[in-house]
Amino acid sequence: MPRNRTVRLAVLGSSVQRAATSGYPSNRSSALKRRIVVGGLVLLSLVLVTVSFRSSALDGVQGTAASILRPFEIAADRVSRPFRDTVGWVHGLANARSENAKLRLKVDELQQKLVLDEGALQENVNLRSQLDYHGPASIQDFSRVNTTVLTNPQSALDESITIGAGTHDGVRVGSPVIAPSGGLVGKVAKTWGGQARVTLLTDAQSFVTSMDLTHPSAVGIIRRGGGGSDALIFDRVAKQPNVSVGDTVITAGSLGTGALPSMFPRGLRVGTVTSVSNLDVNTFKTIQVEPFVNFSTLQSVIVLVAKK
Amino acid sequence: MDAPKAALVLFVAALLQLSVLTEYEPFRTSSIVLVALLSIALLRGSVFGAVAGFGTGLLLDTATLGTLGLTSLLMTVGGFWIGRYGETTARDRFHAPFVSVAVVTVLYAFGQVALQFVLGEPAPAGLVAHALPLGLLLNLLLTLPVYALIRRLFPPLELGDRVREVRLLG
Repeated sequence: MPRNRTVRLAVLGSSVQRAATSGYPSNRSSALKRRIVVGGLVLLSLVLVTVSFRSSALDGVQGTAASILRPFEIAADRVSRPFRDTVGWVHGLANARSENAKLRLKVDELQQKLVLDEGALQENVNLRSQLDYHGPASIQDFSRVNTTVLTNPQSALDESITIGAGTHDGVRVGSPVIAPSGGLVGKVAKTWGGQARVTLLTDAQSFVTSMDLTHPSAVGIIRRGGGGSDALIFDRVAKQPNVSVGDTVITAGSLGTGALPSMFPRGLRVGTVTSVSNLDVNTFKTIQVEPFVNFSTLQSVIVLVAKK
Repeated sequence: MDAPKAALVLFVAALLQLSVLTEYEPFRTSSIVLVALLSIALLRGSVFGAVAGFGTGLLLDTATLGTLGLTSLLMTVGGFWIGRYGETTARDRFHAPFVSVAVVTVLYAFGQVALQFVLGEPAPAGLVAHALPLGLLLNLLLTLPVYALIRRLFPPLELGDRVREVRLLG
């Protein structure tokens, strides 16, 4: 028996216009409006990307807007600080005993090293003055700009931070950036009046000429390692120098008197060697380095600005 | 009244993301801003979602001094798409926010890689794929409280508010 739909047809047979209310639009004009809005926004985004990527026309506006946002970021940081301190305190307490034992051993080891190092340093100073030796730029040739980290890396792809010092403080593109502990963080990639964007050492386009502190003939390039960790690769190191696990890697500074001197002074601490492999089939050694800096938890940094 | 409320919610979420969450490494892979945006889009529709996504993306790009428009583009498309989903098949379904967040988190991550690649920037897809499971998990965990809060602030529209016209098809 066929179903009788007479009643439904009587109700739904003609288009019934309801009173306009706010909410989801569903008619044709709304569909058109929807497409125009989203199309316009996508187009505007593409224009912004193009202008921002190809020129510095929007830098002023972006810098000003970022300056306006800065007090809010600082306020959020201060509000959340007690909670973060509590988390840090609990975490520290849980690891305190084992860490204490490790640190005691380390202190003994370092005290022995310090005696030897101080003697070597004194000897180095004497010999330099006697020979009138001019080596590569060192950290003493740079003035320090201490500043806060405004934003940390925002995604797995993002290997940059923003800092609260810019051209007004003497910061320039290429200025080396170190952590308060002395470990190398990266270099300044872009500057604004009161802010700058820093490319971290873990960025895929970051390369730093470095050397093994214990075996200075082991010179190579520090670059990003594979995988999702912050591990670095000490690349292009010849097979002859004997690099060992636990060695400290530092920046090499400028080697020789080439036309393109290194932006980094000699002696900035990069990291510790964690593994060395010396396969016959490889031209160079494969050396993995654990950086001194934890790039995701930086609170403040020091920008090194050349004095001359 | 929804627009200022949404602006405030997304601004607070962005501040939380920029100043607090990203200090913890696992949260570099997730995004409370994305979860908040998708929740609002789901409850308020495609146009609202697209506009909110554009504004939020612009805010993030400005604060991080990144390439302007990059995050806006992704968030505009994400907000629009999920808003459309909310207008059509997702109505009153419990799983809708979770499905939306899961799908957009994956597409957002690979959208970022694609845009970086197009711009000639380093775009390590392996790195993104490696970080994605944790990001996805954290975003899904964030969805429950964030969506509950946003649902209270933006109560779902009644059917009468959604439909202005009834037309017989066929």
